[in-house]
Amino acid sequence: MDTSIGTGNPIDRVEGHLKVTGMAKYSSEFPVDKMLYAQAINSTIAKGEISSIDISEAKKQKGVVEIITYKNAEKLKTPDKKLPPLSTTSIQPVLQSPQVHYYGEYVGLVVAETFEQAQYAARLVKIKYKKETPKIDFKNHRADAYKPEEESDYSRGDVEAGLAEADQKLEATYNTPIEHHHPMELHAVIASWENGKVKAYASQQMINDAAVTISNTFQIPKEDVRVIAPFVGGGFGSKLHAKQHVILAIMAAKKTGRPVQLTVTRHQMFTNTNLRQHNEQKVSIGAAKDGSLTALAHEIVSHTSTYEEYQEPCGTVSKMLYKVPNNKVTHRLVPVNLQTPFAMRAPGEATGSFALESAMDEMAWKLKMDPIEFRIKNDTQTDPSNDKPFSSRLLVECLRIGADKFGWDKRKMEPAKNTNGNWLVGYGVSGASRAAPYQETSSKVILTLKDGTVLATIQMDATDIGTGSYTIIAQTASEYLDIPVGQVVVQLADSLFPVTPGSGGSWGAASYCNGARMACQNAIKELKQKLNVGDEKKMSVKELMTGNKLTTYEAQGTAKPSEAFKEHSVYSFGANFAEVWVDKDTGMFRIKRMLNVGACGKILNPKTAFGQIIGGLTMGAGMVIAEQTRVEPNFGNFITRSFADYHVPVNLDMANVEVVFLPEEDKIANEMGVKGIGELGITSVAASIANAIFNATGKRMRDLPITPEKLIMAGVEPGVA
Amino acid sequence: MRPFVYTQPQNPQAAVSAAAANKQARYLGGGTNLIDLMKEDVERPTELIEVADLSFNDIKSNGAGGYTLGAMASNADTANHPDIRKNYPLLSMAMLSAATAQIRNMATNGGNLLQRTRCPYFFETSMPCNKREPGTGCGARKGMNAQHAIFGWNDQCVAVNPSDMCVALAAIGATVQVQQAGGKTRTIDFADFHRLPGDQPEKDNTLQPNELITAIELPKPIFADHYYYLKIRERSSYAFALISVAAGLQMEGGSIAKAGLAMGGVAHKPWKLTEAEAFLSGKKPTQENFEQAAELAMRPARTLPDNEYKIEMGKKAIIRALTQAYEKNA
Ligand SMILES: Cc1cc2nc3c(=O)[nH]c(=O)nc-3n(C[C@H](O)[C@H](O)[C@H](O)COP(=O)(O)OP(=O)(O)OC[C@H]3O[C@@H](n4cnc5c(N)ncnc54)[C@H](O)[C@@H]3O)c2cc1C
Ligand code: SF4
Repeated sequence: MDTSIGTGNPIDRVEGHLKVTGMAKYSSEFPVDKMLYAQAINSTIAKGEISSIDISEAKKQKGVVEIITYKNAEKLKTPDKKLPPLSTTSIQPVLQSPQVHYYGEYVGLVVAETFEQAQYAARLVKIKYKKETPKIDFKNHRADAYKPEEESDYSRGDVEAGLAEADQKLEATYNTPIEHHHPMELHAVIASWENGKVKAYASQQMINDAAVTISNTFQIPKEDVRVIAPFVGGGFGSKLHAKQHVILAIMAAKKTGRPVQLTVTRHQMFTNTNLRQHNEQKVSIGAAKDGSLTALAHEIVSHTSTYEEYQEPCGTVSKMLYKVPNNKVTHRLVPVNLQTPFAMRAPGEATGSFALESAMDEMAWKLKMDPIEFRIKNDTQTDPSNDKPFSSRLLVECLRIGADKFGWDKRKMEPAKNTNGNWLVGYGVSGASRAAPYQETSSKVILTLKDGTVLATIQMDATDIGTGSYTIIAQTASEYLDIPVGQVVVQLADSLFPVTPGSGGSWGAASYCNGARMACQNAIKELKQKLNVGDEKKMSVKELMTGNKLTTYEAQGTAKPSEAFKEHSVYSFGANFAEVWVDKDTGMFRIKRMLNVGACGKILNPKTAFGQIIGGLTMGAGMVIAEQTRVEPNFGNFITRSFADYHVPVNLDMANVEVVFLPEEDKIANEMGVKGIGELGITSVAASIANAIFNATGKRMRDLPITPEKLIMAGVEPGVA
Repeated sequence: MRPFVYTQPQNPQAAVSAAAANKQARYLGGGTNLIDLMKEDVERPTELIEVADLSFNDIKSNGAGGYTLGAMASNADTANHPDIRKNYPLLSMAMLSAATAQIRNMATNGGNLLQRTRCPYFFETSMPCNKREPGTGCGARKGMNAQHAIFGWNDQCVAVNPSDMCVALAAIGATVQVQQAGGKTRTIDFADFHRLPGDQPEKDNTLQPNELITAIELPKPIFADHYYYLKIRERSSYAFALISVAAGLQMEGGSIAKAGLAMGGVAHKPWKLTEAEAFLSGKKPTQENFEQAAELAMRPARTLPDNEYKIEMGKKAIIRALTQAYEKNA
């Protein structure tokens, strides 16, 4: 039993033993009676219409119970406009028409007694298509670019004037490729109908939003939908909303009258769980001789699907990170025959910061200024995008302390001057910011007194997607009830529990913990009131329970952002440092060291926090090393089909990683002073590595990933471009 | 996956007979390639035959100064065998650069020789591919071909052989022992084992139907002191080579007596650099000679629209591999 009390201790995960012993149940693992297995069928064209479906062979196979296509699918709610914005609660109709919008779209479902039978029969369903020429690469269809309805453009001051008065100007275009979220746990669901109500064990990041999607898609009351996901093996944004496979399983369960399990295959993780789109980002910067920015424009062109709209806010960081009077951000989208993109870890920041923080490095080199001093020169304590003060902002401290720890003074300003045998050695830096949102969150605490010991159970529909929610919520309850962590049980991720915003957008830790805090504080307050003792009187929970002659007591609490929160800009800040060695002949490079310094509020548990940052750094490094989904230009299918060819970093790619958290007290952010870290760690990592590659080689690499092929073609030899 | 039966004949001959009796049967090595392709519906065997003869696992000296590698010995056991490490470190180095520890534990030597190309069109049954379905066309030729061949390709197929082990074997020289129906055996020179696409891109090698690989014979070791396997890839491990070079040098009195040189990731077969080998023979191990060898080696290269980078990368890789090979124990 964990006898520590409160937050701030680097305790092990409270659910750790369940995971390592295989006792933690993930969505597809629940024992459900009479369960059937479903296998979804994917289209093999990117655009067109189904002309015929032959299920005769498949239907004959042993174990096959049902085959669903658009011809016999239940009618679902469909969108009432052409390109509805995709959100975490959007309806997800599926199999509603013979139209095909992208390669791999679901066109059918086979339900059978066993997984193998379903898989086999799915291959025997013969579908013929009337093909049309798809639009695949948005760069070939720029004429179709449009301005999305949602806040896509922003401006302050006059960028043209700002550029005109600049002593140094830079205009550069950066590309980030299509990426996929690829959490380790495949998307999965077990759906059933009981007494007209839906029950779904579904691997989701946001329980309540998933229930909304299901209820709206089937047009049934939300109260009739229960979503359960006690353990989720990662999401990175791909599990924010209930996707079509969830709808398919629920539809199949209704049709067959039996529970249905559907697991999305790794291959389908490419085609059916959304993606991070290819962004083309043009950045224009003007700066005066002394390094002060005079103008910054960030223009983004990207793609969405032909049936939904998603816009990644890549300009977020450019609006607020530096003091610049003239600023402009624009977004344009081209609809293409690929599935709809959706939020992937640090949507906007991860990709936008690559462009911005690379451009800042380019400008620093033009000005012959140290890139750290250049950033510090343009620091601001007021958010220039809305004139609100930052609740706290330690960007300068992150940069300075990081420089000191990293040995930045050993960096040679002039590129390609630091060599070691066949290696060209470079140092790079970047600044990072990520909003620290906080949302209304409810929670329940159930106190029991047994054999003289108080046990507390916390319930909320929060999720733990591998991040450590269970642990930090237990630590929070332990702190506010003043009992050891081992006497707290945390129950999460069930629609029957009080509503939280779920895991996403880096708001989980702050929201969940403050929600749990409120429930605990209310419990104590209520128990004191019952005893007619004042708030200030110190009494243990045990004394309160015995005093009230209670063996069990329940309380609820809801936390929400304060007025002060709304009057401030609340962000986490950080700085990344990278030392990279580039092989002068092969174009291969090694990230030798990385350092991340973060100022992100109260650290609830240094161990889980560290995990979040190194995960972010690894994913950020992946953006540079090789992570990339390749699309066949004629057929529109992804030719990266598995982890054998979708390259994420391996251990050997990640050298020494050091993480430093600066102490920060920010009570404006929320009462506990907790800020988000889940996405800070990935933000601008790619830029720090690309900047180090420039420092090593003199070659500015503006298109991710930076593969050996690209470095060879850039002609990596000592010499300055 | 489609249903199939699994049989375990007790000896090679029984295995060959079983294969001869069923056209849809395949031999099973570690399954790391075959089972993957079955899951993708590219391979559709109705029977998997796994030889249960342990002598297939042996790695032993062959009495003629060389070594015999059993067809069923794992890639890991082969690469880590003390005699192989000592006598054929180039082979060890190449094999250990491949895949992951887990895959190398499963993969067999016979299977490694027969692993299929990683061309993405070959893997996706809805795409055209002459290798998978003769006559459908080559998707890669008109589509994405950055990872494809620069030597020996034609419009029928531009795929590359993905094996690292085979590049080292091409540099070292070897023979492949095979068992035929009716108890006969046959020896194939390694240089003739794999083939260029020609007008039969579906055929990767010169094995006859049902022939079973029993062993690989290695010649007397001559590159134990000066060797290097350079593998250029997109990440530090668990990635196929964009380009690889196996270089072995036999030094005598400060000159190169014999060079063994082969490239991977460039052709439908492990690409032996015969001209460069001949050029280096008798030469001093100088940078200029290495550069000339690289020029010679790359002269017949023909790029595809997406793989122009392979020329420069190839040259640099050859020079680097030769330099490293020479400097190792120089
Ligand atoms: C993710 C991944 C990454 C990889 N990376 C690399 C890499 O970087 N470099 C590299 O070189 N390789 C790599 N490999 C490939 C790996 O080396 C091969 O899959 C392996 O060597 C095949 O051996 P196996 O025994 O598993 O063959 P199997 O899959 O069992 O068989 C392959 C073929 O050989 C036939 N066969 C097997 N044994 C015999 C025999 N004795 N006689 C006749 N036919 C036979 C089978 O019928 C089948 O057609 C990778 C594989 C994977 C899955
Ligand atoms: S290169 Fe060969 S394997 Fe690839 S598509 Fe063409 S024919 Fe098929």
